[in-house]
Amino acid sequence: MNVLLDAVGITKSFSGIRALDDVTLRVVEGERVGLIGPNGAGKTTLFNCILGTLRPDSGSVILNGVDLGSLPVHRRARMGMGRTFQRIELFSDTSVAEHLLIAERVRQGNGALWKDLLGRGRPTSDEIRRCAEVLDLLGLTDLAEEPIETLSLGQGRLVEVGRALVTGPRLLLLDEPSSGLDRAETDALAATLAEIQREKGFAVLLVEHDVELVAAFTDRTYVLDFGRLIANGPTKEMMADADVRRAYLGDLEVGR
Amino acid sequence: MLLAASTGEDLLRAVLQGAPPGSVYALIALGFVLTYKTSGVFNLAFGAQAYVSAAMYFQARNEWEWQVVPALILAVFILAPLIGLVLERLIFRHLSNSSAVAKLVIAIGLTVALPSLFELVTGFSAVAGRTPTGIIPGGSSVFYDPFGIYPLSRDELAQMAVALFGMAALGALFRFSSLGLALRAVVESPRMTELSGINADRVSAFAWALSSLFAGMAGVLIAPRFNTLMAPDFFHLVIVAIAAAAIGRLASLPRALLGGLGLGIFIALFNTFLPRWTADHGWLRPFQENLTPSMPFVILFGVLVCWPAIRREHRVVDPLSGVDPPPPGLAALTRNRRLTLITRVFSVSLLCVIGVTVLLRADVRWLFLVTQAVILAIIYLSITVVTGFAGQISLCQGAFAAVGAFTVFQLADRYDLSVLAAALVGAALAAVVGAVLSLPVLRLGGVWLAIATLAFAFFFDAVMVKFSWIGGGGTSLFQGTRVPRPTIGPWDFADDRLFLVLAVVAFTVVSFLVIQLREGTTGRMLHALRGSEMAAESIGISPVRARVTAFAVSAAIAGFGGALLAIHQENVNYQNNFSPTAALFWLVLVVSLSARTIEGAAYSGAAFSLFDSLVLRGEVFRWIFRGWVPGILPISPKWRFVLFGLASIQFSRHPEGLVEYGKRRATRRFNERFDRRERDRASQETSP
Repeated sequence: MNVLLDAVGITKSFSGIRALDDVTLRVVEGERVGLIGPNGAGKTTLFNCILGTLRPDSGSVILNGVDLGSLPVHRRARMGMGRTFQRIELFSDTSVAEHLLIAERVRQGNGALWKDLLGRGRPTSDEIRRCAEVLDLLGLTDLAEEPIETLSLGQGRLVEVGRALVTGPRLLLLDEPSSGLDRAETDALAATLAEIQREKGFAVLLVEHDVELVAAFTDRTYVLDFGRLIANGPTKEMMADADVRRAYLGDLEVGR
Repeated sequence: MLLAASTGEDLLRAVLQGAPPGSVYALIALGFVLTYKTSGVFNLAFGAQAYVSAAMYFQARNEWEWQVVPALILAVFILAPLIGLVLERLIFRHLSNSSAVAKLVIAIGLTVALPSLFELVTGFSAVAGRTPTGIIPGGSSVFYDPFGIYPLSRDELAQMAVALFGMAALGALFRFSSLGLALRAVVESPRMTELSGINADRVSAFAWALSSLFAGMAGVLIAPRFNTLMAPDFFHLVIVAIAAAAIGRLASLPRALLGGLGLGIFIALFNTFLPRWTADHGWLRPFQENLTPSMPFVILFGVLVCWPAIRREHRVVDPLSGVDPPPPGLAALTRNRRLTLITRVFSVSLLCVIGVTVLLRADVRWLFLVTQAVILAIIYLSITVVTGFAGQISLCQGAFAAVGAFTVFQLADRYDLSVLAAALVGAALAAVVGAVLSLPVLRLGGVWLAIATLAFAFFFDAVMVKFSWIGGGGTSLFQGTRVPRPTIGPWDFADDRLFLVLAVVAFTVVSFLVIQLREGTTGRMLHALRGSEMAAESIGISPVRARVTAFAVSAAIAGFGGALLAIHQENVNYQNNFSPTAALFWLVLVVSLSARTIEGAAYSGAAFSLFDSLVLRGEVFRWIFRGWVPGILPISPKWRFVLFGLASIQFSRHPEGLVEYGKRRATRRFNERFDRRERDRASQETSP
């Protein structure tokens, strides 16, 4: 299997505090990988280093054999990194369908100004069809014309996923998709995600608090604590691992 | 060592010369930082407040012949804090959750409205050719020369003494009083402070009163340095204060103070040690002569662009601000198709009727005003692009328009090029200027971007216009910057009616292009960026590229419009048409009417050009009621500034503008009624 994402020796300090210490993380194509750890473990920092919103002090992020170096976020996105946000980020004052159309248009290129001015910039029927397909996949077809502001949080997250999907990512980074959702909503989201992932075959890196979601969704899990990778292996083993449980639950022995 | 001695002397002289204005700058900078930190308002209106106090003082002293002390008490200790309190109570208190940009827009609106409002209320009019008096008898005529190198006037000494006293008092207040402690807490986080049982509103009201007092004091102190008493002079003052505050990164009062003082001295030093170029570098003369007065703008621009720390500053927010729910989205109304058709048909036919009436019936004056309205609407479309689509407040649209206008003037004057071709060249040049300017400025974002563009506008105004290859130099002073009207084939556009048709055609074409832009890829990307920059980047949109495009397009439109305006008036008329303060009013106007739509630009053009004649002079009533005009009319054209300036206040609640807001509301009402009727009909059909 082809290694898709290779983050090697990532180290990042914030005014003397080591948020990440020599973390190495690898995602193989089509794989579903979890990244868990207690609050303050450095999950978000690692996530941001991979996405390019933060620059690591040392170490490198390699996507599909290309060292991303200091590429800005949007260039990384074009190379196949999609993401969702922990605090939902949608484009206000659009409908669900328009939302995806923006992403679809970006996927095709930057759009030359002269094309816009000559009236070539309006959405084509081909683009509209592609977006409708993604909406269908997410089960959002009924909401296509709804303004984005009227959606529930769970639906909003799905739109975020859809927006990322339209750009045709090879790696989807999900940032705590369960935050703000209840158990039932989380399960529904996990089911939809799993289905789409099977169909499209992209790789997923899931940063999550909710251990149940990670257990249900991922094949392999990395565990971070105090900026260090303390364990990494098949998700089932990780969930049973004593060190992992200690990091998560403290030294208390809690039977589950 | 004669040379060293004289250099040392020069140095000392510059320090002595720079310290008095520097201390006044520091005074305003202090007030500026104080309000910014307590209420998050980037109060550009300080300049207007300083003007109001200075004018009040002038009025009391010179017109009413009051003594110094009562005049000072009225202007500085009563009027200034009162204005601050009123602004805080009536406006800014209700905006605590609005974005910094919304607050800035309102502050700009107040900058436009306050001086005119004061002049209307008191009957004061701007004074030219008369030096305002200071607060000390013989202020400008009695000198002291302690070191034997630079005589300090009494006014200058008073400036320093008052500024020192003010700073010391503020320092003591912060250090020793419980109110000072509360102030410092509010500066950190108003909501945290409220949680611990302190009324943050009251503290922030106090801060407003205090900082307005500082602004008023600074206004009265600095007035004798000008030989006029006009609002724009004081607007310069606030720019200097912002530069000083920016040096202190808007965070600390002592640093703002040092920034102000340092700026005053630096300008004097610069003035003293600026190399005097000789005749063989004649083309540099305008730089040499004009760089000194524009130094604050250059420094402000430099600080903003070159100092990365300042960029992070605007991201510092109240730690509790995340608690707020996001603002409600616009009710995305699907407009009834029949209604759309009816309104379209109605408005198009109304426009046709107006057009025909104007072409057939209008006299020279009305033709001029209507044509001007149409051309201004073109310029305002540039604001639609940069502010409405890209969400950036640019305050240098006047400079872009002037680039277009001067290009036409130069090309027609020197190379006898057809003015319409020259207008296109002007648009292209303006686009280049806009793109180059936007590159360093765009990284700032938000409020700082607005301030940087303002600095650029003032720099352009103070330095670039003076170059003979731009503004025409000395000859243009006597002959004006003349621009001919074009002829195309059989049509000679020297005819005003024909030129109006040309302007309407130009407006239609530009509107069409702007709509294409909005519906096309660039418009969509800008829309996404406005909604969420992070999310837009995450799907591969380059924020810089999209915004540079928007800036360049906007500058091109402004340049084209500016060129047309110059052709229409057959003169560039830089001061009247394109000065930075005129451009401020443009922004206020467009933003309060509607920055998002073509209609908004059209209404704004009409408002700028026709509102005075139609409404304030009552022509509309004369037409409708056959010569009868309400008794209160005609009223002063200054009401235009007051009304539209104050109208910008609604920007925080309805950023889509008055026109758009009204339209949405009407549509909603109509839809509700329509729906009810449909429902009634449906129930009638089913019930029997």
